[in-house]
Amino acid sequence: MGMEPVSEPGRRWPSWKLAAEIAPLTQGLVVSGFGRLPTGRALFLELPPSGSEPGRGAWLKTLAEVAPVTPAVPPSGDEDAQPRAAALAFTWTGLERMGLPETALASFARPFREGMLQEDRLRRLGDRRRGAWQDTVIEGGPLWSANTPARAPVLQRIGADGGSEMPMEDHVATPVTVHAILLLYAKDEATAEQWTAAVATALQPHGIGIVHRLELLLDVEAAGISREHFGFADGLSQPAPFDEEGAVLLDGQPVRKPDPVQGVPLGEFLIGHVNGHHEKAPGPVAPGDRNGQEDGRPPVADLLAPHPEAQGFYDLGRNGSYMVVRELRQNVAAFWRSLDENAAAIRARDPQHSAYVTAEWLAERVVGRDREGHLLCPGGRLKPDQLGLPDNSYLFHASDPHGVGCPAGSHVRRANPRDALAPTEQDRATLLAAANNHRILRRGRKFGPKIAHDRTDDGQTRGLLFMCLNTDIARQFEFVQQTWLLNGDFATLFEETDPLVGPAGRMTIREEPLRRTVQVETYVELAGGDYFFLPSLPALRYLASR
Amino acid sequence: MRQTTLCVPLQVKPESCSRLCALIDALCEREDKGEFGFPQNFARVKRDIPSLHFMSMSVFTAARYDPTFILEANLDGPPSVFWGQLEAAFGPDLREMLRCCKQPLDRDGPLYGAVTAPDSRAPMAPYLEARSVKPSVFHHGNRGLTRDRILREAVLFGAVQDELDRPDLTGPNPYRGLPAAELHQKLRARLRPAHPWLDDPPPARITKAERLADLFRLVSFAVLVLLFLSLPGLALSPFLERPTYAALMFGLALLIGVIVYRKRRPLPGTGIETRFNLLTFLAGQWLLLVPLVLAYVVVATLLLVPGVTAVTWLLELLGTGRMVGLGEAFWPVARTVLWGLLSLIVTLPLLVLWLRFLERRDSSQDAPPVDERLLREMVRREDWVAQNHMGSIVLIRPGVLRTAVIRAGHLGLGLLLRVKATTGYLGSMRTVHFAHWAFLDNGSRLLFFSNFDHSWDSYLDDFIEKAHVGLTLAWGCGVGFPPTRFLIFDGASHGRQFKNWALASRAVSRFWYSAYPDLTVDQIERNVAIADGLRKPAMTEEEARTWAWNL
Repeated sequence: MGMEPVSEPGRRWPSWKLAAEIAPLTQGLVVSGFGRLPTGRALFLELPPSGSEPGRGAWLKTLAEVAPVTPAVPPSGDEDAQPRAAALAFTWTGLERMGLPETALASFARPFREGMLQEDRLRRLGDRRRGAWQDTVIEGGPLWSANTPARAPVLQRIGADGGSEMPMEDHVATPVTVHAILLLYAKDEATAEQWTAAVATALQPHGIGIVHRLELLLDVEAAGISREHFGFADGLSQPAPFDEEGAVLLDGQPVRKPDPVQGVPLGEFLIGHVNGHHEKAPGPVAPGDRNGQEDGRPPVADLLAPHPEAQGFYDLGRNGSYMVVRELRQNVAAFWRSLDENAAAIRARDPQHSAYVTAEWLAERVVGRDREGHLLCPGGRLKPDQLGLPDNSYLFHASDPHGVGCPAGSHVRRANPRDALAPTEQDRATLLAAANNHRILRRGRKFGPKIAHDRTDDGQTRGLLFMCLNTDIARQFEFVQQTWLLNGDFATLFEETDPLVGPAGRMTIREEPLRRTVQVETYVELAGGDYFFLPSLPALRYLASR
Repeated sequence: MRQTTLCVPLQVKPESCSRLCALIDALCEREDKGEFGFPQNFARVKRDIPSLHFMSMSVFTAARYDPTFILEANLDGPPSVFWGQLEAAFGPDLREMLRCCKQPLDRDGPLYGAVTAPDSRAPMAPYLEARSVKPSVFHHGNRGLTRDRILREAVLFGAVQDELDRPDLTGPNPYRGLPAAELHQKLRARLRPAHPWLDDPPPARITKAERLADLFRLVSFAVLVLLFLSLPGLALSPFLERPTYAALMFGLALLIGVIVYRKRRPLPGTGIETRFNLLTFLAGQWLLLVPLVLAYVVVATLLLVPGVTAVTWLLELLGTGRMVGLGEAFWPVARTVLWGLLSLIVTLPLLVLWLRFLERRDSSQDAPPVDERLLREMVRREDWVAQNHMGSIVLIRPGVLRTAVIRAGHLGLGLLLRVKATTGYLGSMRTVHFAHWAFLDNGSRLLFFSNFDHSWDSYLDDFIEKAHVGLTLAWGCGVGFPPTRFLIFDGASHGRQFKNWALASRAVSRFWYSAYPDLTVDQIERNVAIADGLRKPAMTEEEARTWAWNL
């Protein structure tokens, strides 16, 4: 689902860093999920309506004093030197409230401009169809979003005068409007609480309300893993960025060539760098501010670099990213109870050959890994790598083409199929490369208390604050959600979706000679979400100057 | 069974465009009963036009042309039956739509007049047939499967799933623990009563005659291309000493080769690495290429020998020469044909150089304007079922070479697809049900229609990531296409630019019908595999185990 690889000292995957000239310009969240800071807060902010007067960025200056946004650790720096960390991102309506000029607002990517709750997008993401929220959304619909205004209705037909009126786009709104998300990461709960209070006090005079908050948690165990609420090690398979121009460093050395399995160009996660389409990932622009001197704001040219393509505009996007946020509630008791029932049913219908089918066995197949994070493979589970951590260089097609080990429709195999969709041996390299064109950098954290008894519903709200970074929301996050996770025909399965995060339905577990089927329920529900822009530090200073 | 893909492009009276769109929308609303995506959708179309797999009606608008109304249909058998069914189902609607179109200025004019006259009852089929355009290239994913077979086998698939799971029963499942061969026996015995057709052998998807005809066409095409490319050699070699001729050819080849080599690099910023290697690819195709060249030598010799005899006979009649007999002419002609082939090393690089010259001066369109309203109309209709539809029209780059390349390229690609794409796969992708290209307006515009699986974005991403070479070859002739190199490189690999370009060329699929909207190409092939297995009275254990993966 979505947490970063975490580790205790001495047992960690080598972590990549940004080159010295880029790191100080980039938010730290891009390169790290701050795994060493176990607690945190997600504060969802609502900005006050603004007139046309300057000074709407003043709160950012206040915030910079109480909770400065953490830059990426420079190659020479030590992550542990940062005792706490913060990240800040805006929705489109948030940027509008910040008084960003029209031309700038229009230059953002379409999914961001339209918002996650645009009618057709909700259908593609599996959240809403024909005006009805789906079972994978909490009762009554999500609680929060950017509440991006619906676009103007389609009034007339093309190529003729008059004509009849097309139905207006359904404007989907949530009770709470979120303009920005502030993520605070701290060493312990007390610091986090204190810090949150300080931030709230500082922002209050600016008319900024904290309209929603989540207590984030990352409880790293001795084995170096963290578990999501169902009990499985999470966030294990992350893309490994590389950059032809040397912006990515690993152990101090530039990574210019892709890792054979997880290698993805940096531009997939950082605007202004070469992406999977072999071009600099496009981003928003800011118009040159000719009145800068007169109204007392520093001119944009002092803060942002000129845009390489748009003459007279400045590069608002470079070293920023788009962040997808989805608050997902997990129903732990329902998950385990439904798998208990399924296991009992399977054993009842096949008393002689299914002694090994337990809820645990089924849950592993639903996820595709065992609890410790090791991928399932024919005959059991994958051995740990040389660091003793789950091996992530595994390729499905080579060793498990039919999915008898790791089921073809399991969550991990859907979320990153690697070479699994290759029809023949010769196509494996092409399919792996194609799959790597749709990767996301996950930065999620769980919220809510750990469940005491995993079969008993304790009435508490818990789940995962799914957050991921990508520069092309449609080709990355939305593709993963629509074409892999919720695709009913994924890998020649028929009308079944992701057993973990999808709606109730069938799941096939292939065995020789005859597959088994499981009836999964809805275990995960969307409680709020939208698309955010994670600005670079210069872009934040530009916003502060508005 | 043979299937037909066709389209009927009709010029629309600009003043009637909104009326036409409204008519199509109304028809769609009427037939698409349960709103988008319900299984009972288009029940009447399904019943009344039983030969139909996919059909669409779109109105393309463009700044440079009056609106174009295009009816696209993919069907079983020859079109004649279909026209009758279509007219019976949609007669009045279709006639009113035709009235929104312009009267053709050519000989079809009177036919149009008869069909569209007030209260006319004249059959529309002759007019539609006369105005229909054959595709330049087409691809059928589930080749040779009739609509009824696809539907019947989908029903069987459902029955198999129910039978294997039997959620209504509680006791031990009789299928568990059986060896695969026994499982097959038991399942077949249970399903035969409700599906008596399981006793018939599966109908051939591609008949031997069809296969031979496809091969024959491809070979004929290759022979003609080789003949054309060796014309300079055929003309020169009889008049030159062999060493002089060879030296000339090698000299020219070297000269042109050096120039091509110097121009090989992509223009700044447009080069994209691909794992596709042309030489490796061609080397991999030697099984196809060597027989083609041999076939060319034999066919060209057999064609030219009577020609030589005829010409010399004529010369002898005129008293200026001596007739060369058939037998006598054979070997010299064969030698000439072989030597003529040598000129390929000059003609091919020369064409490539010419092409490269054009490519280096082509302009591409980085941000083609996309009409926001049209885009929304498209998006609103997408992603309701497993499949989607797209229609696109692009302008074609001008010039003799471009025209020749695209005409020959499409002809060759179409014939090659018929021979090679018989399992549904286009390279490593199996997502296209029916797709075709066709030339419009004397070849100035290129039309593309596709009925495909999954979202439009994933469909295009698939091509960008896995088949950019073929895509660049087929579409690179379009005005504004991203910069190409040697006809197949770069081009569509400029993913974002290519998608923008493709998006801007699209039209709203106002009416779109699929006979089996919940089935992907992949699933249909899975159903075929299951059904074909169940048709067999018995299987070996090994066969049955392979078959059982599909269950």
